[in-house]
Amino acid sequence: MIRLAGLTLLISVSSVSSALAQDPDTRADADRQRREEKAREVRSYEPGGLERAMAFAEDKAIFIVDREGFYPKLGSLTTGSGFAYGIGFRDRDLFENKGSFDIWTAGSTRRYWAAEARLTFPELLGRRLLLETWVSRRDYPKENFYGLGPDADRDDRSDYALRTDFFGGRAGFRPISFALVGGGVEYQTPVVGSGRDEGVPNVEDVFEPEDVPGFGDSANFLRTNLFVEIDYRKPKNARQGGWYRFDFANYDDRSAGLYNFNLYDADVRQFFGFLAGRRVVALRLAASTSTTDDGDLMPFYYMRTLGGNDTLRGFREYRFRGPHAILTQAEYRWEIWSGLDAAVFYDAGKVADRRADLNFADLESDYGFGFRFNTDSAIIFRVDAGFGSRDGKHLYIVWGGVF
Amino acid sequence: MRVTAVMVVALAAAGASMGWSASPRFYPDDPVWADDDRAIDASKVGVIEDTNGYDFLVNTFGEQGERRDVRAMNVNSVDEVPDSSWFTNRIGRRRMTVEEVVNGPDQLTRISLDGWVVSGGKATGVQPGFRMSDPKGQLYQIEVDPPSNPELASGAEIIGTAFYHAIGYHVVEVSLADIDRKALVISEKATIRDPLNGRRRQLRKYDLDSVFDQAARRKDGRYRVIVSRFAPGRPAGNFRYYGTRPDDPNDIVSHEHRRELRAARVFGAWLNHDDSRGINSLDMLETANGKAWVRHYMFDFGSILGSGTVYAQRHRAGNEYLFEQKPGWLTLATLGLYVRPWMRIDYPDVPASIGRLESEAFDPLSWKPEYPNPAFANMRPDDAFWAARIVSRFTNGMIRGIVEKAQYSDPRATDYMTQVLIARRDKVVAAWLNQVCPVIDPSLAVNGTLTFANAAVDAGVATMPDEYSLQWFRFDNATNTRTPAGDPASVRAPSAQAPAGLLASGSFVGVTVSARHAMHAGWARPATFFFRLGSAGWGLVGVER
Repeated sequence: MIRLAGLTLLISVSSVSSALAQDPDTRADADRQRREEKAREVRSYEPGGLERAMAFAEDKAIFIVDREGFYPKLGSLTTGSGFAYGIGFRDRDLFENKGSFDIWTAGSTRRYWAAEARLTFPELLGRRLLLETWVSRRDYPKENFYGLGPDADRDDRSDYALRTDFFGGRAGFRPISFALVGGGVEYQTPVVGSGRDEGVPNVEDVFEPEDVPGFGDSANFLRTNLFVEIDYRKPKNARQGGWYRFDFANYDDRSAGLYNFNLYDADVRQFFGFLAGRRVVALRLAASTSTTDDGDLMPFYYMRTLGGNDTLRGFREYRFRGPHAILTQAEYRWEIWSGLDAAVFYDAGKVADRRADLNFADLESDYGFGFRFNTDSAIIFRVDAGFGSRDGKHLYIVWGGVF
Repeated sequence: MRVTAVMVVALAAAGASMGWSASPRFYPDDPVWADDDRAIDASKVGVIEDTNGYDFLVNTFGEQGERRDVRAMNVNSVDEVPDSSWFTNRIGRRRMTVEEVVNGPDQLTRISLDGWVVSGGKATGVQPGFRMSDPKGQLYQIEVDPPSNPELASGAEIIGTAFYHAIGYHVVEVSLADIDRKALVISEKATIRDPLNGRRRQLRKYDLDSVFDQAARRKDGRYRVIVSRFAPGRPAGNFRYYGTRPDDPNDIVSHEHRRELRAARVFGAWLNHDDSRGINSLDMLETANGKAWVRHYMFDFGSILGSGTVYAQRHRAGNEYLFEQKPGWLTLATLGLYVRPWMRIDYPDVPASIGRLESEAFDPLSWKPEYPNPAFANMRPDDAFWAARIVSRFTNGMIRGIVEKAQYSDPRATDYMTQVLIARRDKVVAAWLNQVCPVIDPSLAVNGTLTFANAAVDAGVATMPDEYSLQWFRFDNATNTRTPAGDPASVRAPSAQAPAGLLASGSFVGVTVSARHAMHAGWARPATFFFRLGSAGWGLVGVER
């Protein structure tokens, strides 16, 4: 007991003397003591998992997805192709940053396949001149076809395969910063065959040959075009301004000589922003018409189509097809948070067998709503639900914007 | 045996007692005006560099640091911020001339780029630029203005630097200069991190071309640039507005409890520094006398005022966080019929160099940075009062002088910016000087006469109160206990008499003061002043708000 008491006494005296030694006399001493205590515990900073992941995403991952040299080619090949993935190689600072070269190949979940090489000089002569050349193969094995004209029936869904090789070039001149005027030439060798979607009948099993001009024939085309493009959107994911394009193209059948035609396209998009640009009314009017010489035909696979995620969103892809087409779209977009907009939309349009029918009567229409994940430059990702059409409801989840 | 046991208990009790009450309320060296946070060698400090995404995520969807209604932990006993590696008292503590305020941190009044070489690409940030070295090898960062808004970011940088310097923060030196693009010489050693693949390579002429392609060009073909001198020392990343650096022994106060960081919200509101976040700060490891220590900088003012650096500032900036749940859900649910108030703000038609800044709709109390800032969230009325007093000391002439330093080519821009900053200053001062009892500068004469001033009245943002209420007390510094002395008293004028005999009763006395004002309920929140008897009489040793 005495030994225990002695030990306690010793500890107590020791703690008292220690406390006395440590009691600071001044504020400066007190602060210094705290710093000396911390100095005994200093350690290197160890970032956590989220921090490391974000650092990797910002410092490295961006150069994987958008990397120079070999890169993963991801996205869509064409409307309805499904998600595509492949590999590419690019060099975007050719000739002291004046040009870019890109070559890639990719296949999609629906077994679409494509390869392309493209050389572009976008801003020569002090940003006034654009030059571009390319060579490409597109193999689309499951393209939908419902017949030609406005009365095409949903129950007549069939498919065909289209493989096209093409190479060409174009040049554009900017007389003012927001206008591009130019033209191009391209050689195309489309080959049309039976579709490969086992759940869908082939075109030739549903339609008579005269209902599908160009099916079964092979033809090579020399396409020459002239265009004018005006772009004064602000910003590019537009809150105001407009984008207009007018294009004239001549397709010269260099083989059979049966399929010569001219194609005229106009696409006008106007954006009206209000409430600090956080509300936008976006309007689009697009029209396409074509002409053929007597005895010539326009191949069905070059005709304009409506239906799908970027035209009539209440219908399937390529639901309507014809030599003439008109499309109107209206969206009201409102910002929920920075980077996320909601939208309600209305689409109306039709295809026509005759140009005289290219008017606003008997339009197919739909309406719906959607969400857009965006930046100032572009819509990255979009979900649109279309209703109100005679074909029922449709949901589209797609990379990229609509207009 | 019993004696031993009693001794054990007594000594143990004495030890425990000394352990709790050893610290007096006021030390002999209080109030401390310099915090020696360079005392311990910090040479092992590494680099802590946050990314944009991480900083946004953890502060938007997490709650960093300690959120507590507690007095700032780095203030001295008179409720002021001592000088430190974070802050140097300038306009808040001493008279500054207009010239001194305008000059800011600059060692040179004018900068010439003759003989300089391009020494590298720019490492971070959205503002296009590159690095140059002067003939002595000193490194500078060069940045350009956007073509749509000439003089925008450079003007904001110049103005912000001068203000934040005069307030007391450490900032880097910045200057304006003109560049003749054709005269630039690229050093053979200049490298750049390739923007396309992230790999470092030699810097080429076309890299500079791409910078100037995104730059506002003057009519004479030259480019106005902002020239930022690299701070001395070794970069140690950025500081955070929460926690402390685990590798810095001198960093002992959680940043969310540092007054100069909490109260930066007031300055941020005034100058619309919505980019007040950790990644716009800079820690530099400096070495002197064989010891290393970290100096903390406020950094990058190119996106304050009406500037969004490469465009006019967004309408949302300063009014709403990037992600804020309630207005977002409301907007979604109402198909956009719910309109956030800031969308209706009507910005006047001003020169493009101003960007988007106004004072009519500006409400200092509801101002917000881009996303939550833990130190700002902890700001209390006493922190804000401290900052508002500093803001109130910027005269119209000083504001005009700082704005003129930005050298806007359009005099309307100078006039507008000056007028807006004066109007915003007045709103800031009115909002935050009146949230507490604004009694300042108390002085206790040996004859017992107390005199004081009223910061809000002096700043012209309030009239005299109906009355001041005072309660005197004796103060025991060892036990931190107060004993009321005399009856509560009321006075109309800022002067009162201590109760008879109080001053003879000890070496510490105190008085609690509140005020009654029909317009300012916050004045009823009392301020307490402690006085200590010294060789020169009674001196102020403590302030509580």
